[in-house]
Amino acid sequence: MRLIIRDRPEQAAQYIAGYIVGRINDFNPSEERPFVLGLPTGSSPLPVYRALAAAHKQGAVSFQNVVTFNMDEYVGLPRDHPESYHTFMWQNLFRHIDIPADNVNILDGNAEDLGEECLAYEEKIKAKGGIELFLGGVGNDGHIAFNEPGSSLASRTRVKSLAYETRIANARFFNGDFDAVPRMALTVGVQTIMDAREVIIIATGTAKALAIQQAVEGGVSHMCTLSCLQMHPCSIVVVDEDATLELRLKTIKYFTGVERTVLQQDETPTTPVDNTTTGWGESSEGEMTPDSMSSRIDSPKSTLVARSATIPSVRMKPLST
Amino acid sequence: MPGKTTSSSPPRITKFTNCRIVKGPNLVEQDVWIDSSSGKILKDQEAFYGLHLSPDEVIDLGGRILAPGLIDVQLNGAQGFDFSVPQASKEEYDNGLRKVNKGLARTGVTSYLPTVVSSTPEVYWKVLQSLGPSGCSHRAEDGAESLGAHVEGPFISTGRNGVHKTDVLRAAATFDDIVACYGKSNLARSVRMITAAPEVGNMLANISSIASSGIIYSIGHSDATYEEALTATQEGATMITHLFNAMRPFYHRNPGIFGLLGQNECRRPFYGVIADGIHLHPTSIRIAYNAHPDGLILVTDAMKLCGLPDGVYEWTNGERIIKTGARLTLEGSDKIAGSSATLIECVNNFRRWSGASTAEALNAATATPARLLGLQGIKGSLDSGADADLLVLDDVDDPFSGSNLLVQQVWKRGIKIYDTEKNTVVVT
Repeated sequence: MRLIIRDRPEQAAQYIAGYIVGRINDFNPSEERPFVLGLPTGSSPLPVYRALAAAHKQGAVSFQNVVTFNMDEYVGLPRDHPESYHTFMWQNLFRHIDIPADNVNILDGNAEDLGEECLAYEEKIKAKGGIELFLGGVGNDGHIAFNEPGSSLASRTRVKSLAYETRIANARFFNGDFDAVPRMALTVGVQTIMDAREVIIIATGTAKALAIQQAVEGGVSHMCTLSCLQMHPCSIVVVDEDATLELRLKTIKYFTGVERTVLQQDETPTTPVDNTTTGWGESSEGEMTPDSMSSRIDSPKSTLVARSATIPSVRMKPLST
Repeated sequence: MPGKTTSSSPPRITKFTNCRIVKGPNLVEQDVWIDSSSGKILKDQEAFYGLHLSPDEVIDLGGRILAPGLIDVQLNGAQGFDFSVPQASKEEYDNGLRKVNKGLARTGVTSYLPTVVSSTPEVYWKVLQSLGPSGCSHRAEDGAESLGAHVEGPFISTGRNGVHKTDVLRAAATFDDIVACYGKSNLARSVRMITAAPEVGNMLANISSIASSGIIYSIGHSDATYEEALTATQEGATMITHLFNAMRPFYHRNPGIFGLLGQNECRRPFYGVIADGIHLHPTSIRIAYNAHPDGLILVTDAMKLCGLPDGVYEWTNGERIIKTGARLTLEGSDKIAGSSATLIECVNNFRRWSGASTAEALNAATATPARLLGLQGIKGSLDSGADADLLVLDDVDDPFSGSNLLVQQVWKRGIKIYDTEKNTVVVT
């Protein structure tokens, strides 16, 4: 897992949008080989969607050959209800981009057989070759999609009853009417997300700080489903300063160090970074172990070893605004 | 901008993007999807998820304004054709009407109430047959669409007749008198609005019958006092015909019909305003607008000479009209005989004079008249489900008159019928 920290939420969103655009363009998707993108709803991803729409408008990316799978949808809420995730996605992303309607997949919370709908969803993801990149948000309690604390880390797409806290939190979207908040939702499982070849998470604001702390510094636990990403071979959590408030300084330093190294790597993609020539100081080797000072002194010529950071081959240049 | 285009068939789903649309008092950036097969504005989200539709054509308006087609509830004629003058045959009259509809559409008016001035019953019986709502039979290429006739008179005040001929004016004692004058079937099918003076004859007692038969009663050409006007409103009057013109002027001890805009005893009526720069002083318009902004409806009261050269022209009932620029006067008097301004010119004037925003000025010729007519959400609106009567407007800066909205494209029921860039009528 990598942790990318930006000062402001917009910068975090900009980073992710730039990353997604880069990934899609590098993938060079075609009708036969589409780029399969997993998508969330919620307030944190909003600026990401705004940036993606802007990138499309500027001609930086096309979604003609992008296939999307959304994480979740309420059960029993009409598709055109203002709070349905269908509406959210339409209003905030799909209407602004050139994605064909046939390429969009969102769980149908009004399906006659909800169980069947979930199974079919998993099948469909498989049929499209699996999800290439899953973008996600995170709940205040560390939940990813509707996989609230206690959800099995091996879960797949299924019907979930919503936690009391989640319904309270979402009541603000239903005119403060707690009873109007649906009791159930369809959601992809933790394992569905883990199956994606890459996962990128956005978390901004102080409200997310504890969840981030648990997911990054705590152990893998079903009480904070986001922590599953520690087991993912290629995952990035992008946060703003506020979301790091509960992290130890050591953790932050470690991850900012990793990022610098990755950037360095990106500039000279074929040559391993030589610690003695980087100019990035103490964090250039991209790794911080409890005895990092001594290890650095002991092996000044060590080449880059990213033990816990997966360095993607693509460029991660943020979109210029 | 990528977008699917089918070259063989005309585009069915058109998406307007990069445009500013009227939303309440503001212009907001929002896409609009229309369906040429239904002629409606699409519920884009449902089209996408439910029907899996993607736009066949994406039109980038480059930041221009997309507005609903204008609605004129008071228009006496155009293109040399006068709605109040019967022709030798109904066919001839209908041909003239078709010409008007096409010409009007080019000015941005996509629906209107053809208005007939005070006439004899024989005239009403003839012309009203042709002036009813076009309804579903209307084709896009026909141009502007009638929403029903506006009969202005003949139950009006002899002292406030304007240029209406006094010989044909009448007073109604009973509702039957009104029915007899216009014709029973005309009243049922064609007439949408009646302008009458509440104080003439027994009109006050008949207003509720008119209103309950689904016809808008508009106070106008009237010498009514404030009290009479208020009673008329309580009886069911919902409109004032060309406020200030042809009515008892505002007087501080008795504010007259204008006083309806300031009272709270009953619902304030809508009111027509001729913002052509001749009928009203800009400040009068501003005062009315400040008193009751939601009720202001821009009307042209334009007559057939609109667009014709200056000179002396025959008018109804054997009288003649002198046209000098936009000013039309009755021969031998200073009486103003309607205007020859277009509705978009009135929108521009109104925006300049009133301090209204662009969206508010457009609303006064779209959403507000639609509300008067009970057509909110169908006409004068860009909401999904509304008729796809659209204008593409450019807001250009004129060194003399400030900024001016110009009609660049006209769409009727989902089909483009006029485009200045191509300098031709697209569909004929």
